[in-house]
Amino acid sequence: MSIVTLANKATNNVGIANSLQHILTKYLNVFIAPFLGILFFLGIWSIAAQNIQTSLGVFPGPSAVLTQFSSLYEEHLAERDKADAFYERQEKRNAARVAQDPNYVAKVRKYTGKETFLDQIITSLITVMSGFILATVIAIPLGITLGLSKILNTAINPIIQIFKPVSPLAWLPLVTMVVSATYVSDDPFFAKSFLNSMITVTLCCLWPMVINTSIGVAALDQDLLNVSKVLRLPALTHVRKIIIPSSIPMMFTGMRLSLGIAWMVLIAAEMLAQSPGLGKFVWDEFQNGSSESLSRIMAAVLVIGFIGFLLDRAMLYLQRLVSWDKSNAAL
Amino acid sequence: MNWLKSAKVIAFAVIFSSPALHADEIGFAEKEELTFGFIKLTDMAPIAIAYENGYFEDEGLYVTIEAQANWKVLLDGVIDGRLDGAHMLAGQPIAATMGYGTKADIITPFSMDLNGNGITVSNEIWAKMKKNIPKGADGKPVHPIKADALKPVVEEYRDKGKAFNMGMVFPVSTHNYELRYWLAAGGIHPGYYAPHKSDTTGQIDAEVLLSVTPPPQMPATLEAGTIYGYCVGEPWNQQAVFKGIGVPVVTDYEIWKNNPEKVFGISAEFAEKYPNTTIRLTRALIRAAQWLDENDNANRPAAVKILSQSNYVGADYDVIANSMTGTFEYEKGDKREVPDFNVFFRYNATYPYYSDAIWYMTQMRRWGQISEDKSDDWYKDLAKKVYRPDIYTQAAKSLIKDKLVQAKDFPNFATEDGYRSPQKHFIDNIVYDGKEPNAYINKFSIGLKSGDKL
Amino acid sequence: MNPILDISHIDMVFPTPKGDFTALKDVNLQINKGEYISLIGHSGCGKSTVLNIVAGLHQATSGGVILNGAEVKEPGPERAVVFQNHSLLPWLTAYQNVELAVKQVFAKKMNKKEMQEWIEYNLTLVHMDHAMEKRPDEISGGMKQRVGIARALAMQPEILLMDEPFGALDALTRAHMQDSLMEIQAELNNTVIMITHDVDEAVLLSDRIIMMTNGPEATIGEILEIDLDRPRSRLDLAKDEKYNRYRAQVLEFLYKKQRKVEPMRKSKTENKVKTPITSNL
Repeated sequence: MSIVTLANKATNNVGIANSLQHILTKYLNVFIAPFLGILFFLGIWSIAAQNIQTSLGVFPGPSAVLTQFSSLYEEHLAERDKADAFYERQEKRNAARVAQDPNYVAKVRKYTGKETFLDQIITSLITVMSGFILATVIAIPLGITLGLSKILNTAINPIIQIFKPVSPLAWLPLVTMVVSATYVSDDPFFAKSFLNSMITVTLCCLWPMVINTSIGVAALDQDLLNVSKVLRLPALTHVRKIIIPSSIPMMFTGMRLSLGIAWMVLIAAEMLAQSPGLGKFVWDEFQNGSSESLSRIMAAVLVIGFIGFLLDRAMLYLQRLVSWDKSNAAL
Repeated sequence: MNWLKSAKVIAFAVIFSSPALHADEIGFAEKEELTFGFIKLTDMAPIAIAYENGYFEDEGLYVTIEAQANWKVLLDGVIDGRLDGAHMLAGQPIAATMGYGTKADIITPFSMDLNGNGITVSNEIWAKMKKNIPKGADGKPVHPIKADALKPVVEEYRDKGKAFNMGMVFPVSTHNYELRYWLAAGGIHPGYYAPHKSDTTGQIDAEVLLSVTPPPQMPATLEAGTIYGYCVGEPWNQQAVFKGIGVPVVTDYEIWKNNPEKVFGISAEFAEKYPNTTIRLTRALIRAAQWLDENDNANRPAAVKILSQSNYVGADYDVIANSMTGTFEYEKGDKREVPDFNVFFRYNATYPYYSDAIWYMTQMRRWGQISEDKSDDWYKDLAKKVYRPDIYTQAAKSLIKDKLVQAKDFPNFATEDGYRSPQKHFIDNIVYDGKEPNAYINKFSIGLKSGDKL
Repeated sequence: MNPILDISHIDMVFPTPKGDFTALKDVNLQINKGEYISLIGHSGCGKSTVLNIVAGLHQATSGGVILNGAEVKEPGPERAVVFQNHSLLPWLTAYQNVELAVKQVFAKKMNKKEMQEWIEYNLTLVHMDHAMEKRPDEISGGMKQRVGIARALAMQPEILLMDEPFGALDALTRAHMQDSLMEIQAELNNTVIMITHDVDEAVLLSDRIIMMTNGPEATIGEILEIDLDRPRSRLDLAKDEKYNRYRAQVLEFLYKKQRKVEPMRKSKTENKVKTPITSNL
């Protein structure tokens, strides 16, 4: 081997080493560091858990919670089996009744058993999204109106500032009473408990969107406003072509804040109102006070956190799709 | 299969009788989808069993069972129609009909159980009380423990200027009256209510301040030191033992042997609108109660397994099993046989006796919830309005006819007048005769008597 | 020859908490069709105010502006503005930015096809045909300004107003842009009012240079006719005696007659020049 090739090889090696280092650094950032962080957390958690004695036994560590996840899933499957049996029995009973009472209109009734953990997760997700979407539909036009009119903004701002910090727990009794007084129907399309939680969520997550949208609209760049003036854009076109696009980044900031609040509020509202969902799951387990309650609650806490994280990511992803300003939407 | 059997019976009726159903025959349920509420207590068992064993479905009822946050929420649910029926405190339908608290016509066609409550004190109080309790040959405290042992402790706290707080579950709950009965029998004044002066705290002249805590939160509240003791149903006394935070001192069986406890409450409007449904759900509940007590409590372990599910009571199997299977653990390790701690069916436990209703009313009068004198007839009329043995009798008779139960397990419906014969087994040995409420009220040394008004 | 634009004795007074501030006093100027006018003066002398009044974005306190015999009361596309900070809508591509203006101005006069051709023609004019689908944050400052100019030209204005159009660009880019602008001007022969700080730029591009005195009560100090043949070449002019004399005259006006002692702290307007994002009023 000549010296030249050796030297070449050496430089090659350096090159390979460099790119290897580059890849390593990348992986370190993307995978290894978070992995180590989680590992460290799990370690601290299990050590701390062993040393916390509650009246319901030792605080659940990671393994106890993991066991709960699988048993919650098994419960879900078992409940599904029970539901199948329920429908089968019902079918037979309906057939028997129709046989001797031809006028009877057989109706398939929904399974009356308990909601499993998975059912509760889905209920909570549906509720939070409904509440959030309702809030968005109200907040964005309101925010734009307030952003456009200084007088209106000054008039309504005090009201917003007063309602913004109100805890969902304060709204809930009022919402409950109003819903049960006004939403009277023999065959309601929505359950009252769903409406209660949803409206509470809406009331609490409205404000960040209103405020951010109105700020976004009011902070319209003077130059862009001048462009609009020089072009003599009609009012509606001005709002559609200039105001809304320019305030989209702020709207999304508000929407992300709001969705985070909505999720937190929902759990609290479900807990207090005992409406179906993850909050009720946590409260029920707390009340049950069984030896498994704490690990089940811990499992729910992790799920709540993870879903909150996913919701935020989903919002961010949406923002990246819709918004022109990518700097705000970095993952 | 049961549903097949009853379907046959009904089919038979349809084929061989006129299209209008025979008077004895119960028609199909008018309302098939029902929601029942309950509080997480073992004595909700008849509802859970009727569901799990398919008794509701046998009646063509599709029932959803929902745990409620507290007794107030539960009662409001029945009143506003969110719930079709619920596991209720015996005092609730009476108080509601009377208008104490929320006014609403609530009736009960079915008594859910006898006994089942206990009074628990914190470890600290128990240590002080224990000195005042005589010991038996085995070195264990002699039962029943009377409140006499607690009196010096209460006085000690009073001298230190500390309020002595205890918890009960609801102002018109069995637990409130039992705790008051026990305290008063030991010479401790639990305080009066004065609703006509808008004082519903029940702490007038009180030596022990009673306040409301929902049953499942009792242990946590005791642990937090907010209260020194409480009276509650199971499993929340045994939970205190398991958690090592308190000691049950007395069960209500010892305060008043075979006292009526929970009832199944529905609104009067519901019963009127859906008579068949009402009878059918009563049938299902009677069958569930029978199953719970069958063959000397042979089904109890299976029942406990069901109750320990998170959607029912949800406490650990062992905690629920303790009382449900006929034992009761006082101090840790001091486990005693109390076979009748929970009675669901025997001793005619499910029959809604007028005299049971009247006992609760006498206690309401005694502690001022009924602020004025009432005639004996007033007591009897109110009891008749709320307690509905007529519905119960129809349900029981049809079950006997269907051979699902035996006539010997029920009162003689031909002669039964709804009043139990005078009852003697109270901790203070005072005899109760439901036919003479005013005379009974006058027998107590602590409490309002005829003519008293705050 | 009737002037196309008559700026007639305008005063501009801004009310302030400390009393009225008279920014402009009796500014009087007539501009002929096809003329290229530069406004030059120190920061804060009210050049931008004059331009904004012509644009209709400001209303003069007294006096008025008449364009083609009609008084100017509000902004309009016949007086297109090229802003110092390009002012493109950041969510639209170069093409869409021009399209917004074209759609607004020629809604009834052009069909879809014609519009598309017109937009593409104007972008080609400023050499931006290769980046029509790029958004503002994807192109350089000079390119953004080209799009800004294309947008203004696409409106086919009676008069083109340019507020320090190249102020935020580096020297090389600026020179390049000036050359481009002269090319376009040779083709279209627009009437232009341009604000500038740059003496070379003013002499190179203008037919007349309007030199403004310092505020308050700023007004037109001197007017310099630039009698240089077009097309002009910056390389040739560098050695041209006439050019250098014009240049010296402007410099003398700015740094001798209207010498301005700047405070140590940079004034607000000075800052504005350096940071392109702030609005330019």
